[in-house]
Amino acid sequence: MTPRSISRCFALLAAAFACSFFTVLRAAIVLACGFAMGACSNNPHPEPLEKKSGDGTPWKVRYAALPEDPRSLDPQVSYDSVSRRVLEPLQECLLEYQPFKTDPYELTPCLLRALPERFERSGGGIGYKCELKAGILFHNDPCFPEGRGREVVAEDVLYAFQRIADPKVECPALSTLQDYVEGLAETFEAARKSDSFDYHKPISGLRVTGKYTFEIHLKAAYPQLLYWLAMHFTSPVAKEAVEFYDGKVHDGATREMFRFHPVGTGPFQIAEWKRNTRIRLKRNPDYRTTTFPLEGWNADQEALLRPLAGKALPFVDEVNMTVFRETIPIFLLFRQGYLDGMGVGKDAFSSLITPSRDLSGKYKERGVSLHRDIEPSTFFMALNMEDPVLGPNRKLRQALSCAFNAKSNLDIFFNSVPIVAEQLLPPGIAGYRKNFRNPYGYNLQKAKGLLAEAGYPNGKDAGGKVLEITLDTTGGSANERLMAEFDQQQFEQLGIKVKVVENPFARLMEKLDNGGFQIAAGSGWGADYPDPENFYFLYYSKNLPPAGKNHSRYQNPEFDKLFETMATMENGPAREGLALKMNDLLAEDVPHVLNMHRSTFSLTQPWAPRIQSNPLLEGGLKYAVVDYEMREQLRAQWNKKPAWPLAVLIAVFAFGAFLTLHARRTS
Amino acid sequence: MKSLDQIWVQNLSLLTGYSLLAGLIFWGARSERWRSAWRRLKGDTVGLISFAVILVYLLIGTLESIAVPSASGSRSLLQQLTRSIPQETSYAAPLASTALSLSDPKPLKSRHLLGTDALGRDTFVQTLRATRSALWIGGLTSLIYIPLGVLLGMMAGYYKGWVDDLVQYVYSTVAAVPEILMLVSILMVLGKGLGSMSIALGITGWVGMARLIRGETLRQVERPYIAAAKAMGQSNWKIITRHLLPNVMHLVLIKFVLGFSGLVLAEAVLSYLGVGAPVGTASWGTMIDASRSELSREPLVWWNLTAASSALFVMVLALNLFGDSLRRAFDPKQGA
Repeated sequence: MTPRSISRCFALLAAAFACSFFTVLRAAIVLACGFAMGACSNNPHPEPLEKKSGDGTPWKVRYAALPEDPRSLDPQVSYDSVSRRVLEPLQECLLEYQPFKTDPYELTPCLLRALPERFERSGGGIGYKCELKAGILFHNDPCFPEGRGREVVAEDVLYAFQRIADPKVECPALSTLQDYVEGLAETFEAARKSDSFDYHKPISGLRVTGKYTFEIHLKAAYPQLLYWLAMHFTSPVAKEAVEFYDGKVHDGATREMFRFHPVGTGPFQIAEWKRNTRIRLKRNPDYRTTTFPLEGWNADQEALLRPLAGKALPFVDEVNMTVFRETIPIFLLFRQGYLDGMGVGKDAFSSLITPSRDLSGKYKERGVSLHRDIEPSTFFMALNMEDPVLGPNRKLRQALSCAFNAKSNLDIFFNSVPIVAEQLLPPGIAGYRKNFRNPYGYNLQKAKGLLAEAGYPNGKDAGGKVLEITLDTTGGSANERLMAEFDQQQFEQLGIKVKVVENPFARLMEKLDNGGFQIAAGSGWGADYPDPENFYFLYYSKNLPPAGKNHSRYQNPEFDKLFETMATMENGPAREGLALKMNDLLAEDVPHVLNMHRSTFSLTQPWAPRIQSNPLLEGGLKYAVVDYEMREQLRAQWNKKPAWPLAVLIAVFAFGAFLTLHARRTS
Repeated sequence: MKSLDQIWVQNLSLLTGYSLLAGLIFWGARSERWRSAWRRLKGDTVGLISFAVILVYLLIGTLESIAVPSASGSRSLLQQLTRSIPQETSYAAPLASTALSLSDPKPLKSRHLLGTDALGRDTFVQTLRATRSALWIGGLTSLIYIPLGVLLGMMAGYYKGWVDDLVQYVYSTVAAVPEILMLVSILMVLGKGLGSMSIALGITGWVGMARLIRGETLRQVERPYIAAAKAMGQSNWKIITRHLLPNVMHLVLIKFVLGFSGLVLAEAVLSYLGVGAPVGTASWGTMIDASRSELSREPLVWWNLTAASSALFVMVLALNLFGDSLRRAFDPKQGA
């Protein structure tokens, strides 16, 4: 019983009391209301958009939860995971990740006919030849003539690259891509100087060579370009859509802004968006770009996935994403069967997961399944290498690293779900060593020894003064405060003093950029793409803040040389060898105190089995399936209406009638 | 050596606070009104019991405030006294012998009267240590808002005219701004810390005091003894300090005690909102804040919330009861 229906009951009860003292007639109306209430269901979702899908089968809806409204669905801008989760089913990229292959990850063509073909350009430099699939249509949308989506052509990719270079768009990919793609930086500079962007002028690095064919010209070898082609930043955009949705008033009606109204080629398009409440996506009837893969899954999924192989996508007709700012309602609705999946948060953890990290019996009986995923991410505390105390003293950094009990941290704050990070690279990335143990992992005895060697026996310097170190963290919630106290205690085991400074998030970012910190807690990196370059560049000396992300300010010529060679190599044993060497350098220099690779537990309902678990996809909604009938059946079973409110209502009515009659008789 | 300096500064400021309080009481004890109030108070059992409870809190807060040198810089006397109680790895239930973890119920180093918190610290000790935050907030804030309120209130009541208009205008304006908003914004500017919290509470808190004193002064100014003093040619300043102040001082004392409980609550609320006590400072508000997630755990962690709210409740109750007793003692006609 939801709180809403309970309050409804009370309201009706109150009304019943008021009425029954007066006339029997009014009470009868109340009773009728009560019956009507009994017929209501506790389903919080609106009616599906349609009853039947195109082929006559029941309309299949998938229900998901969002933690907040997406900020921007502009493919060249959207970068946060919530926005990307909504954008992925709407807007396709040139390439995509094979949904089943995660070790190693694999790219497959999406809008392109085949993987780009690399060639040496005659004038020096590298080029990639690409060809779009023919006949792919943009969504039907009022921005096109007669509302019919037109075909995607190579010019649309050029337009996307122009938008990347447009200073007004503020594309986050520009800072990286301009170093490699020819002409991007020049175009950006020219536009910034003249304060206007000329969309008629082409970009020299992107040559349109035919209706569907184009070439990307690079200044230097950059194999990671292919990963960028699997991100939304490079996905083709219709000029008509950007110009149409300008957020201004036309003919008395306000048009939305483009970032709230993307026009892509994806398997779904937006049918309804109630800001901060709900987004509903509807199947794109013209979707043809991809079909379900023919292979790649694990043997244990064979029975489930074989029948789907080669089938047309998507499998559901509608996706309903509801915004929940709190986590409790997600859990409650999942329990009632009104959500098809959920992430297991801290609140619900103990009632869902048993001590042996298994799903609790009650939910197993219901057919719910539990999934554990390790994200390609690493969290750590950054140590400032330019700090006069920490920077020149490698032993001190090693001592700090040895004093931090990462395992205990995960036990206390993360229900032991994530795994302890032993190295910078997370699992699944080339160069990750399974059996590698951090030489400066938790070992308090060793830490004390190292601290003495560093010149601070028992935490005191030569003059007997206690070493004091500042730890910068983000403050606010009780949990963050406890975490900061935990970190403080870990380091203070060494006998040193740790001063904790709580910063608003923006202030901490500022400190990371200008180097005004000693230890910064809560740093981390999630892979943009599954490549060691995407992690090791965090410690490349040409990547110093504010432009880059080398917040530790680590500068090591040997590391730089290895990085430069490794970055542009094709994947293979030689490259892995270099990555291992770089790992050893970092492990010995300790520019960070490693913490964890984040992992998540999630649940799916029996009617919505999980098809893919690739953490680089933002949900992979086009592969999602729903067993419509099973859901109806189980929902009805899980939401049996209690009979007592009606019984109470009838009793109240009877009592009221009795009183009224009694009063009449005695008067 | 720097740490030793800090120890001295901390202990000295504590001493200053206590001497101020003692001075106030000695100064008041000369007046016949205060003496008769004390005689009446001696017959008031509830008042005496609540006074004793307040003294116990004061003692605990003082123990936590006295800094003593230790291996790593300074620590409080209370920490030093309770150092034999070991720290566990994480939660432990009250008097349990194993850790509160279903997957790995390791035996504990010792039993804990009220269990331990997320980081394995003894809840009872943490609750005692949090008394300090409450007392410091109450004490420091009172030092700020009482002089401000009394001075402005008496000036407004005595000089009347444009002075009165100005003071009234200022406090009406301050009172018109929602208090929590004002507190949070002041704390955002000043940063976290017990000191800045006291300043913020002091800036918003003097209004009530000024109002009360202004009203009482207006009443007293009409009395013949003021007219007599004026006729004898005493200066305004002398009249205010010699004649008016002693006659409104009992109100200050009552308001101080009653206001103290409000300040303790405000500290808890602000810490709960995340703008209060900084990391490493035990406070009932942060304990209650942390229990938000503890209450949705399985098994339930209830002892931190219970300990913090009970300590808060008893202190506020004792302060309120004692405040009422004081009012009755000073003004027997009104009470009863």
